[in-house]
Amino acid sequence: MGTGPLAAAAGRPGPPTARVLLVDEVVKRFRRGPPWNRRSAAVLRGASLEVRAGELVGLVGENGSGKSTLMQIVVGLLPRDGGRVERPERLGYCPQTPLLWDKLTATEHFELFAEAYRLDAEQAARSRDALVAELGFVKYVDYRVEELSGGTRQKLNLALALLHDPELLLLDEPYAGFDWETYLRFWAMAERRRAGGMGILIVSHLLAERDRLTRVYELRDGRCEVLA
Amino acid sequence: MNRTALFAREQIRTPFTLVMLIAVPAVFVVASAGVLAEFARALGGGLAGEAASALGAGWAAAFIAGTLGFFQACSARGADRRLALAGAGPARVAASRICASVALAVVASAAGFAALELRTGIAHPGHAALAVLAFALVYLSVGVLVGSLITAPLEGSLAVCFVFLLDVFSGPGMTEHAAPYSVSRKAADILIAAGLGEGSATGDWIKLGLVVVAALAAAFAVFVLSARSRA
Repeated sequence: MGTGPLAAAAGRPGPPTARVLLVDEVVKRFRRGPPWNRRSAAVLRGASLEVRAGELVGLVGENGSGKSTLMQIVVGLLPRDGGRVERPERLGYCPQTPLLWDKLTATEHFELFAEAYRLDAEQAARSRDALVAELGFVKYVDYRVEELSGGTRQKLNLALALLHDPELLLLDEPYAGFDWETYLRFWAMAERRRAGGMGILIVSHLLAERDRLTRVYELRDGRCEVLA
Repeated sequence: MNRTALFAREQIRTPFTLVMLIAVPAVFVVASAGVLAEFARALGGGLAGEAASALGAGWAAAFIAGTLGFFQACSARGADRRLALAGAGPARVAASRICASVALAVVASAAGFAALELRTGIAHPGHAALAVLAFALVYLSVGVLVGSLITAPLEGSLAVCFVFLLDVFSGPGMTEHAAPYSVSRKAADILIAAGLGEGSATGDWIKLGLVVVAALAAAFAVFVLSARSRA
């Protein structure tokens, strides 16, 4: 296990809660070019971080530093070349680019994901109604994704990640396209979830709300460092 | 509504799909059977009359199903994997995709067969209907396979058209020396026979069945690979 960031995380005040995410010395290389001229670029060179229940953790870094790559490795969208990831089964993932079906409505998306999360009809309806009210897109639930604005697509993207009340919520640039009011609503919502015991990891190239965060890691040269 | 129905609905909501379902059979069977026969004569093939109309119905279904298969594969990328990771699992997501695709292929082949019935009142309607469906299912898989290799809609649809045109012009009846192993060879043989008022041997049906099953298995594998975790 890496010593720097995890040791620093362990030293924070307050009683430790259960760990919901461990990223330990993760390595990732991307290979480009034809087989006879293959080039390899290491994006992650032993990245380590952790998130505990009830923590709101930030991960920042420059464009191209590997934040989204690390997130995709955690979720299982990308394979890693080394290291270890431990995460819970009940995971919510809000990707940077909304992964949605253009021709389906928001309601139909909720149906598909409720089935995937194995929620019964009553649970699914209660959770969906609460989320669309909380994020403020009740009047758009019967619109197709292709008819929604970028901000409303992002709200749907986020709501799908929260539908099953996950133990760990992974947010990749979650507020891109949000207006100011929705941005504030997003932070209020994130703090409510954190207070309820959810572990949240927010990835962004720009985190202005550092006071709200338990801890911030910076991804630099393929490694995570805890920012003071 | 279940996952399969939603995936099928997603395709039907594209206006272009509905236009294709009406326009393509009309063009291939009603308007172009004579043109197909003239092409065949020019290339040294013997396709003519009702056999040309019957083959046109197969090609119409193949063209629609191939295009829809390509767009199903495009649509499956990204969001399907997210759904599979959320707990639906790649096999179940792929099964829904393949069922939705087959349902659309059935509609495409029904449209092609209806155009054929209206134009000729074919002698072996059962054989013709099954062969048209086989055309659609085989081309559905061609579209899905192309969609797994090419992500851009324009380039991908052109690639489906390219495979389709190669297959049409090298198929039985179209040239003196038809390609012996094309994907649609058996379906075309059976359809031409039905157009000429002849049945087909059991062996031909078995071979056609094997081709269709292999094609659908390949499409299913593509959907599973598209939805599975990379971790």
